[in-house]
Amino acid sequence: MKPVLAIGLGNPLMGDDGVGCIVAERLVTDARLPEYAEVICGGSDLLGCAGQMEGRDRVVVIDALQSDTDPGNVVRLDGADCGVEERQDHAHHLSAVQAMRLLERISSIRCTLLGVSISSATVGSSLSPGIEAQLPAILEQVLEELGRHPQENRGLV
Amino acid sequence: MKTVLIEHLARVEGHGGITVELEDHTVSKVHFEVFEGARLLESLVRGKRYDEVAPILSRICSICSIAHSLTSLKATENAFGIRISSQTELLRELLYLGESIQSHALHLFFLAIPDYLDSPSAVALAAENPDAVRLGLRLKKLGNLIQGAIGGRAIHPVNCVPGGFGTVPNVDQLIELRGALTEAMHDCGAVIELMASLPAAEFCHDDTVYAALFASGPDTYYAGDEVIVASDGERCTVRAADYRNLTNEKSVLHSHAKHCSFHGRPFMVGSLARLTVNPQRLTGRLAEAMKRLQLKFPAANPMDNNKAQAVELVGDIERAGEIVEHLLRDGVQDERPAAVPVRAGTGTAITEAPRGLLVHSYTYDAGGRVTAADVITPTALNAASMEQRFRRVAEQYEGNEDAVLEKRLGMVARAYDPCISCSVHLVRTR
Repeated sequence: MKPVLAIGLGNPLMGDDGVGCIVAERLVTDARLPEYAEVICGGSDLLGCAGQMEGRDRVVVIDALQSDTDPGNVVRLDGADCGVEERQDHAHHLSAVQAMRLLERISSIRCTLLGVSISSATVGSSLSPGIEAQLPAILEQVLEELGRHPQENRGLV
Repeated sequence: MKTVLIEHLARVEGHGGITVELEDHTVSKVHFEVFEGARLLESLVRGKRYDEVAPILSRICSICSIAHSLTSLKATENAFGIRISSQTELLRELLYLGESIQSHALHLFFLAIPDYLDSPSAVALAAENPDAVRLGLRLKKLGNLIQGAIGGRAIHPVNCVPGGFGTVPNVDQLIELRGALTEAMHDCGAVIELMASLPAAEFCHDDTVYAALFASGPDTYYAGDEVIVASDGERCTVRAADYRNLTNEKSVLHSHAKHCSFHGRPFMVGSLARLTVNPQRLTGRLAEAMKRLQLKFPAANPMDNNKAQAVELVGDIERAGEIVEHLLRDGVQDERPAAVPVRAGTGTAITEAPRGLLVHSYTYDAGGRVTAADVITPTALNAASMEQRFRRVAEQYEGNEDAVLEKRLGMVARAYDPCISCSVHLVRTR
């Protein structure tokens, strides 16, 4: 098992919402990807990836973030930095931040979230020109995050 | 007049709400409003070839994708007169058990139990009772493992085809399942103890009509062709092909889900109905679990459906273990799916999805293409019963605090484990 796991999240059929999955797809074939890192696409269900997170030193989650900053801007948040809505409206799955918080509370899994700022998510299978143009820079920042030396070993669930 | 309104039921799948109107403490109106948009999936399969139908209709639900896929295949096989092998029957039962395990674990630990402990969500519950959430996740993972091994992946199976399976599990996969199921047997005691430790939840009592598939053997989810409707000590039988005699659907103005009734009375489907209709199952560990949870039949409290799901979890894990042992002992034959003799005709199947009875019925033309399709889900079957229960909750609440009434209504709704999106299958335009 590789010690670092990168998980791209999002729905590629909802335009820029799928940017996490697109980044994951590009990373898999990127020669700069460190050998110690594995990349998967988690769709829209981070909790469903819990089994694959177990035993990793680090988990980096890449997801779209609706914010006022420029599209393509990447925000780095550790799990504890994320505000989280405790109320749960839906049955199928939790939001990515809720899933991160839940895993923190019941396991030693700790995630770092790289939020890619998007301005809208609408039906469509391609990224907006603005996000597409920013993809090289987004990949750079994800690779930089994956290149960080593990600060400490994280144990099993 | 006072109105108690739940605009959006939390921790259920889909979009629905409850409206209760009271005049001088007398309940004047109760509506369970399903405002989920029309799905139109039955229309989507019209004109599709027989082997395209199950993969499309499994998309009705991601939690019940196995149930929709296997029920669809059974209906298609009935239309063409296909007999599947005993090995396929066993593997489909195992796959169905995997879905039931993951679905019950999701419902109990993530949607229902937080209610009892005054927790707004599983995320909050994880802070207060992390062991409970870990237990739920372990069981959900077990269900997904079974679904992945037999169905090809955890959600929306790709390995189930008319007449059988694309591939059969290998010995290594079965050994992995045996190990996971053996570990899960140790978790069963914790599930029952946790459920037994929850505060009592008795918000309404009502004579209830139950409907479930009659299980003549150990398979309580997939085999069988007869639905038993049980009430007041009487049992009526409805065959799958005559399902309209059971459902008697009618549109209601306030909901996109139709209402069903049998002999004029709404009925309840799901875990509690399955155990009520099939008391012969309740031996050994299941009987012990029933006793520990003080679950008795006929049950008049809809909240008992949560206890019934816990009992079924124990039975499902035990039965899945038996099947895997059987497959390892006798070996799995690398058999091909049964031949498909395409012909014109109608086929209907009723099975037990985790939430209750599920009907798929198709008519095919001579070329094996769908000319008509009808799918009725457990939540559609339960919608009228849920509304009746909401009325009883409001009638039997003697307090005057809207928040308490709202919480009780929400808990009873969640006890039905509704999948509201699935319940919408036709909207009549006016």
